[in-house]
Amino acid sequence: MLELDRVAHLYGHTLVFRDISCTFGAGSITLLLGGNGAGKSTLLRIMAGLTRPSFGAARFTGKSGKIGHLAHSTFVYPALTALENLTFWREAHCLSMTKEGLLSILGRVGLAARAHDRAGTFSRGMAQRLNLARILLLEPDVLLLDEPDTGLDAASQALLRRELLEARRRGACVVLTSHDIARDAQLADRALLLEKGRLAHDGPPSRLSPPDVAEQACCA
Amino acid sequence: MLRMTLAVLRKDMTLTLLRSSGLVQTLLLGLLLVFVFSLSQGVGENLNARNAAAVFWLSSAFCQVLIFNQLYALEETNDSRLGLLLCPAPIQAVWLGKAIAGLVLLLLAQCVFLPATVVFLGQSLNGPLRPALAILLLTDTGMCALGSLLGALAQGQTTRESLLSIVLFPLLAPLLLAGTGIGAQVFGSADPDGPGAWLGLAAAFDAIFLAAGLLLFAFLYTGDE
Repeated sequence: MLELDRVAHLYGHTLVFRDISCTFGAGSITLLLGGNGAGKSTLLRIMAGLTRPSFGAARFTGKSGKIGHLAHSTFVYPALTALENLTFWREAHCLSMTKEGLLSILGRVGLAARAHDRAGTFSRGMAQRLNLARILLLEPDVLLLDEPDTGLDAASQALLRRELLEARRRGACVVLTSHDIARDAQLADRALLLEKGRLAHDGPPSRLSPPDVAEQACCA
Repeated sequence: MLRMTLAVLRKDMTLTLLRSSGLVQTLLLGLLLVFVFSLSQGVGENLNARNAAAVFWLSSAFCQVLIFNQLYALEETNDSRLGLLLCPAPIQAVWLGKAIAGLVLLLLAQCVFLPATVVFLGQSLNGPLRPALAILLLTDTGMCALGSLLGALAQGQTTRESLLSIVLFPLLAPLLLAGTGIGAQVFGSADPDGPGAWLGLAAAFDAIFLAAGLLLFAFLYTGDE
């Protein structure tokens, strides 16, 4: 569904990573690990097609061609209401969903009661929930999440994880970076570890060596 | 592409006219220009028709810079630009949606600037009105096609106001010349050549700017940070 072929990336003259080759299949959750500056966010942006790799290629062969990207930025227009935000993204993605459908998605992320409030009045966590609603609206083939927990309370984090499992059940390919390695390692089918510019581990999270996990936990 | 264009247009119009200060800042700037030029006349004197038309287009051009800065700033608050880049429609839909939104806002502003020019600069609308309407639409179309393209270039830059002005005004010169030429006729100045040549010039530059927008926008808007 998503393939990285000998991807390398440079920031100026600094090599961030090189020779990253792997494929991501449908119905899987992959945990992308690495210390600060390892290039996790850059790699996710390359997968999303938002950044062109310096070398190599990222190929996407999803059925619907839809990629969801959930990152630190919430993509929310503060002066629009929650419902207007969702309506805009529905139109921009050329989707056909009724207003009731949009309200039901807002209900899924716990924002039904705030549907007509401006997003600018939302906390960071609520804005991220609205961002999650945008992703749910899309039902993407590939879902890329860059530390999606940031600013979310425990209930929102649980909601996010529920939706990730639902996306996997639906056949989506999920790749995420995370602060909470121990918890997300249980969720993921596979872990990738970026270290010293290379892919140091590609396999089940259970095979990550304890020093790796400890290092990620302290560096993330 | 049309659906995304309309979505961007509707969103930008809602945010600009209903959820922010709207056109207040741009209108004030344009009106201030017209008013200041009115002070250059002595008591009982009127500015000549060509100068009055130039003041009208100058106000419109400044107004256009503010409009496109405002329209592209909407995507900067929470990085919504990245969300737009992930949409399946061609990204030119954003350029077109913002160009049309800018055109509507500019026309609204000109509905205020025109009477202000007539009143403050002592002009009367006694020239040919049909070519005047045509040149207004042609010049505004070109200005907005270019403004929407260069607005994308300036987005995210701390110096965007000056960057947009520096790049935009030299390129707009032919259109402003055409607008001023026909504007002068509308305000009563005689031109033996008539409006045909100016209309041709404006249409040619519209074609160039529209083509440039379609071809170049993706490069400017999708650039990596």
